[in-house]
Amino acid sequence: MEKVIIVRYAEIHLKGKNRGYFEHIFCVNLEKALKGLRHELRRTSGRYLVAAFDEADAEEICTRISRVFGVHSYSKGYRVPNDLDGILEAALRICPASGTFKVDTHRADKRYPMTSPQLNAEIGARLLDAHPSLRVDVHTPEHVVYLDIREDGTALVFGSFEEGVGGMPVGTSSKGVLLISGGIDSPVAGYMMAKRGMEVEYLHFHSYPYTNEQARDKVIELARILSRYTGGEFVSTVKVTHIQEEIHKKCAAELNVTLLRRFMFRIAECVARKKGAKCLITGESLGQVASQTIEGITSSNAVVTLPVLRPLIGFDKEEIILRAKKIGTFETSVLPYEDCCTVFLPEFPAIKPKLSFIEEEEAKLDVDALVQEALDSLERFPLH
Amino acid sequence: MIYLDNAATTRPSDGALTRAKYFLTDCYYNPSALYHGGAEAARLISEARGFLLGQIADPALFSLVFTSCGSEADNQAIFSAARRGNAVTTLGEHSAVFESYKELKNRGVEPRFAPLHADGSVDVDALLALVDEKTTLVSVIHVSNETGAINDIAEIARRVKEKNPRTVFLSDGVQAFGKIPFRMTKDIDLYAVSAHKIGALKGTGALIRRKGYTALTPYIHGGGQENGLRSGTENVFGIACFLYAAQEKFATLSEDAKRLETCKERLWALLDKDLFMRISPASGSPYILTVSSQGRRGETLQRMLWDMGVAVGTGSACNSKKPHSRVLEACGYPASVLDGVLRISFCPSNTVEDAEAAAKAMNEAARAFGGV
Repeated sequence: MEKVIIVRYAEIHLKGKNRGYFEHIFCVNLEKALKGLRHELRRTSGRYLVAAFDEADAEEICTRISRVFGVHSYSKGYRVPNDLDGILEAALRICPASGTFKVDTHRADKRYPMTSPQLNAEIGARLLDAHPSLRVDVHTPEHVVYLDIREDGTALVFGSFEEGVGGMPVGTSSKGVLLISGGIDSPVAGYMMAKRGMEVEYLHFHSYPYTNEQARDKVIELARILSRYTGGEFVSTVKVTHIQEEIHKKCAAELNVTLLRRFMFRIAECVARKKGAKCLITGESLGQVASQTIEGITSSNAVVTLPVLRPLIGFDKEEIILRAKKIGTFETSVLPYEDCCTVFLPEFPAIKPKLSFIEEEEAKLDVDALVQEALDSLERFPLH
Repeated sequence: MIYLDNAATTRPSDGALTRAKYFLTDCYYNPSALYHGGAEAARLISEARGFLLGQIADPALFSLVFTSCGSEADNQAIFSAARRGNAVTTLGEHSAVFESYKELKNRGVEPRFAPLHADGSVDVDALLALVDEKTTLVSVIHVSNETGAINDIAEIARRVKEKNPRTVFLSDGVQAFGKIPFRMTKDIDLYAVSAHKIGALKGTGALIRRKGYTALTPYIHGGGQENGLRSGTENVFGIACFLYAAQEKFATLSEDAKRLETCKERLWALLDKDLFMRISPASGSPYILTVSSQGRRGETLQRMLWDMGVAVGTGSACNSKKPHSRVLEACGYPASVLDGVLRISFCPSNTVEDAEAAAKAMNEAARAFGGV
C-alpha cells in the first residue's frame, strides 16, 4: 500500500492533438510547485500521482497543488493492488469506525471481474464487518470511500475530492506584461490571465521620491503572493517621476492621469517586446475611476499596437475585492502607500478626454526622450 | 549620512554597546537563577534601576519598573489608573497615550482632551477646567515629540492635585529623559521613559512610579519579575545598554543641551524663510526643530534629503502612515502647512557643521521640488 496524492486536471482533456504539449507544461508546473519537498510525480492515464513524500509534508504538498492552474481536483489516498484484500486495507484507513458511509466505485479497467455495484457492496460489507457501529447511507452519507480501479492492476482509494483552482497550465497561453500598481485590482487581473495559462511578467511604475520605497516593497510582496499561482521571478520597476513632472509643468491639469497612462502603455509595450510578451494586462474596470472610461481606454490603446487585456473590465469593485481576498492579495493591497497615480492627482480629472486634445497637449512634451529615459531607469527585483 | 531624526530613534552608543556586550555573550544568565551568574545579571539590573531612577528622582520616594518600551509603560500606567469616572489628557500626546485614552471609552471611562497652543504645548487652564472630582487620571506629555514644546509638568501636576488630590498624574517623558534637566516632584505619580531615544536599544523602556502610588497593576502576568509588575525574563542586555547610554547622556546633559540649542538655532537661521516656516517654539527642547515647507510634501522632501545624505523626520515616525499629524492639526495649522512638515531632531554627536549642511540641503530640496 502506498500513500499518494491524486491530481486530476481540468480543461486539458478538451485538447486534441496538442494535449501532450499541455500535459508536459502542467507536469513541469507541478514539479516547480513541489520544488524543495521530497516527492515523486507519476503520470497515469488521466491523472497524476504524487508519491514517495514524507507524511509531514502532505499538507504542504496539498496546499501547493491547490494553487497550480490546471488542477481540477486532488485527493489524499492510497494506491493498492486491485484485489479485494488490498482495497479493503486502504478502505479501512479511509473510513472512520463509526457514522454513516457508502462506497463509490469508478472502474477505468472495464475488464475487472466485478462491476462497480458489486464492488460497492462487497467492500461495504467488509467495512461493516470490521466496524459494527458503521451504518450504510447511500443518499447522504457522512463518509464516502471512493474506489478508482485503474488499468494497471492497481486501485486508488480515497475519501474526498478537494477542489483545485481550475484553468489552464501557466505557460500554455504565451506571456503578458502586467501593469501592477499596488492596488487591489491589478493583482487580480494578473491572476485571471495566469488562470487562462498566461505567463505573467510584472511591471511597476513609481515616482520616487514622491512615492516611497515601502510602496515598491508592497508591490514586490503582492507579486510574491501572486507568483505562488502564476510563477514569475522578478518585478521590473520603471521610474516615471520626470514624466509626471513634465506633464505637471506643461500640460493641462485635467489630463495628468490620461497622459501618464499613455506613457505607461508605451513603456510597457517596449518592455513586453523585449521580453517576448505578446500583450499587456491591466486591472482596469469600466468606469471605476476617471481614467477607466471608454474614452480613457481609447486614448491609452491609441499609443500601442499590442493587445491590452483587461480581464476585470466588467467587474464591480466588490467582486474584485472578493477575488483579491481569495487569492490572498487583499490585505497587502490595502496597505496605505501611495502609488504614482495618486501623487499628481488633479482635482478634476478629465472623464471623457478627446483624443485630439490629448495629442495637442502631448505634443508639448518630448515623448520619445521621456520614454527612453524611463526605460533606462528599469530595475529588476527578485521575488524569491 | 547626517542623521537628524533622533526623536524617532538614536544610533546606539558604541561605548554603551561595548560595555554591555558582556551581558550578551558572557553573563547571559537568567537573573532569576540562583547561582552566581544569575546573581550577577540581577545585580546589573539593580544597578541600572538605581542609576536611572537617581538621575531624575529621589530613590527613597520613587521606584522604577523596566518595560519593553515607552508605549508599554504608558499603557500600563493608563489602564492601571483610569478605571472609573473620567480621565484627562491633551491633544498633543504621543499615540501610546492618545490611543489608550480612546480605548478607555470602551472600558467605561470618559476620556477628555485638552486643546493645544500653536507651538504644541497644552493650554493649561483649559486642561484644569476639564479636571473635576471624578477625574481619576491626568496625563500630560513632558516634551512634545512633534514640536519639542516643553510642558511644565511639575507645575501642571501641582495645580491638578490642588484641584483634585486623588487624581493620578502621569507624564510621557520619552523625549525629555536624558535630554533636559528635570526632577520628579511629589505631585507626579508616574513617568514613562524609553531607552532607544538616548543611544540605547529599541525594546527597553521603563515606568517610574511614586512609591505612595500603590494602585499600579501588571500588564503582563507570569514569573513575577519586576516585583510582580512586569513579568517576563528581563532584557538584561537591553537594560545594560540603557544604563551605560544613560551614564554617558547624563554626564553631559547640560552642556549638550546648550550646544544643541546653538545647532538648532543655527539651522533655523540658515533656512530660507520664503521656503520654510517654524512650528517649534523658541523655548522648546534643544533636541527638536519642526518646520513646514508649505505647499511641498514633507514626505517627498524627506526622501529627496535622504538621497542628499540627510535623514530627517516628518512628524512622529510612529505615525507616518497617516497623512497628517494629528498633533499639529490640533495646533490649528491648515492642510497646506501639515503637508509640508519636517522634524529635525538632534543627538549630542551632531555638530554645527551638520546643522549647516542640513539647512543647505533643505533649501536645495525645497527649491528643486517639482511637484506637489
